[in-house]
Amino acid sequence: MPHTPARPSRVSRRRFLAGTGAAIGAATLGRAPAVIGQQVRELQVWHTEVEPQTVKVIQDTSIAEFERKFPGFKVRQQALGWGDLNTKLLASLSAGSPPDLTHLNPFMTASLYTKNLLRPMDELIRSIGESDIHEATRKLQYFDGKYYGVTHAMGATYFCERRDLRVKKGLKVPETYDDMLKLCAALTEDGRQAFQMPGEKLYMGFVHPAEWMAGNGGSWVDAKTWRPQLNSKSMLETLDYLQKLNKFQSQGWSGQKYLDTQAALATGKIAMSYLSGARAIGYIEKYAPEGMRDPEHFMPMLRPHGPSGKVGISALDGENWAVFSQSKYPNEAFEFLRLFYKKEHYLQYCHSVPIHLTPIFTSMLNDPAYLANERIKKWKAWHEVLLAGLRGNRFLPLGFTRPEDNLLPFLAELDGSSIVADMVVEVMVGGKNPKAEADRAQKRAEELLTQLGHKRWS
Amino acid sequence: MRKSALVGWLLLAPSLVLLGGLVVFPVLYNVWLSLFDKHAFMPVQAFVGLRHYRYFASDPEFWTSFYYGSVYAGATMVLQLGVGVPAALLLNEGFRGRNLLRGVVLFPYMIPTIVAVILWKWLLNDSYGLVNHLLMGAGLVRAPVAWLGPDYIMASLIVTSVWQFFPFVVVTYLARLQTIPPELYEAATVDGASAWRRFVHVTLPQTASVLFVIVLLRSIWMFTKFDTVWLLAGDGGVSRYIRTLPVYAYARSFTYLQAGMGAALAVIMFTMLLAATAVYFRMFRRDEVFS
Repeated sequence: MPHTPARPSRVSRRRFLAGTGAAIGAATLGRAPAVIGQQVRELQVWHTEVEPQTVKVIQDTSIAEFERKFPGFKVRQQALGWGDLNTKLLASLSAGSPPDLTHLNPFMTASLYTKNLLRPMDELIRSIGESDIHEATRKLQYFDGKYYGVTHAMGATYFCERRDLRVKKGLKVPETYDDMLKLCAALTEDGRQAFQMPGEKLYMGFVHPAEWMAGNGGSWVDAKTWRPQLNSKSMLETLDYLQKLNKFQSQGWSGQKYLDTQAALATGKIAMSYLSGARAIGYIEKYAPEGMRDPEHFMPMLRPHGPSGKVGISALDGENWAVFSQSKYPNEAFEFLRLFYKKEHYLQYCHSVPIHLTPIFTSMLNDPAYLANERIKKWKAWHEVLLAGLRGNRFLPLGFTRPEDNLLPFLAELDGSSIVADMVVEVMVGGKNPKAEADRAQKRAEELLTQLGHKRWS
Repeated sequence: MRKSALVGWLLLAPSLVLLGGLVVFPVLYNVWLSLFDKHAFMPVQAFVGLRHYRYFASDPEFWTSFYYGSVYAGATMVLQLGVGVPAALLLNEGFRGRNLLRGVVLFPYMIPTIVAVILWKWLLNDSYGLVNHLLMGAGLVRAPVAWLGPDYIMASLIVTSVWQFFPFVVVTYLARLQTIPPELYEAATVDGASAWRRFVHVTLPQTASVLFVIVLLRSIWMFTKFDTVWLLAGDGGVSRYIRTLPVYAYARSFTYLQAGMGAALAVIMFTMLLAATAVYFRMFRRDEVFS
């Protein structure tokens, strides 16, 4: 067959490129006036409530009303887990473009306040009812006579126990470390472990150690000199207790997560999950055997105290809203918060994860409208535990060993450093000598605080 | 002549700008940053000279991380070669389904790291993992093994990494195998060489250059590997037992919030790799390898 040469293209490559470029340019310019004219202003709101129903409630209530009131604004909410939020916040702060409004862990707030990164919000606090905010949270972000944050909701953390198993053994809720060890020994049987602790550093290396210190008469640092107290009597007694306690849990716990512990509890592999909150009710209702999905079988249990403490302390899970000094739209952020705390919006928000999102307003804690929720009615006993804990001063914010810890500007760094987590893991899992590990952690913590410029001791 | 030189420089300019902006500047900036006490997100810094380097020289955490990083990089590199080279030799043979198998063997390398790690975490979980289920079913263990606990976390990390990265060795080595002239094997066979001797005297010398590159690249990549390590243990309690240098550098920068110290660790790692590479070249680079 004769070879037929390819027909030369009528459009040269240069012409093709020029034509395409012109077409793209025309299309872009054609759209430009509309784009330029719109001037969409975005209010960036970051928070830690990741459950879809909570995100939807915020969207349908506060955001919908805000966008109606401020037509030029769009609110963009981003729900992030704790760990993700901290990392993302730090990145945005270093880039100089933080969100307009965000949740913060209380232990981070002091650190940011001392760096002049937060705006006061006294006017907002007064407008939503300063005196009605529960005292357990009201002044957590109160520095130099001004408010720099307001808690979004209160949720207690505690053990979640298989109440039926404990009652069958004829044992009471443990008051002391010794009681707890006896309970664990009694509940370990038939291939079931007594309890499981979450392996995440934030919990086993910061939140729980703070509870242990607080529940055994100790604190992170000396109140005056800020010298770390990681090898104090309080911590040494606790480490000794932890080493004994570790025998009653799965040996792989340090590689597992909080959600693994909830699943293990709901499916009967353990008798107590070390860290729980009312969020666990969702797991219980979904995964526990039928006929056991009730407070007769699953109940919260507050922490025991150590030999040097008087009362067990649990962490109060309640991030605070904060507005950055670099926020693009601070006034609008405060307006958004006013709408967030508007009663009809706030009730729906709290009902999106009942009991875990307990209102911060004292007047609402026993408000029939709040208690009318079906899940709260069924799990009222859990709500009662929270109220009892609040009455008995059994709660401190996450990572706090005493109320004044809100003034420590280095708790975020201490948490991030893994110093405490390493000590706990080495003692509990590695079976190392508590005193040696505590001394090592103490040395590292002293070095860290010195490097950060917070050394006040000589 | 001058005009052509100018044109040459102009043509080179985009590459120089790219390399300068994306490689040289970040490295130099990092070195500069390592000389400061710089908070991770606050615009405050103080010049401290070589203080961070002196600190790390006696920092037990640094040396522990260096040890874990070396164990991880060394073990994974040896095992990747141990699995990858035989796999490539096998895939170089003719058999039914070879092409399909060549595609399948690439699978672990193609999937995102997060997927690979989640998969292995699920397999190795001591509560509901398949590995323990099979081991207990076969009567090999009585109680579930805590693969993700302190005793086995390094082994689990190594297995995960070898599974994920050995296909790189397979593909690279196989590509070189396919270019070896078959006459060499025919001649060796005629001379009565066994399969082992053909491998030692024909295959190995022919593939020495590609092995050199594989060892170099994989060592560097495994020593600086961050994602797999981080995703397996995250910042969990057990992470203490696989805290390699990149993870420690990340922690110093983004959780201790000491960006200057994090930068110093990065410079130390860079220097270590540079030195190791230089030694490696000096020891093994021979003209015949690249001829």
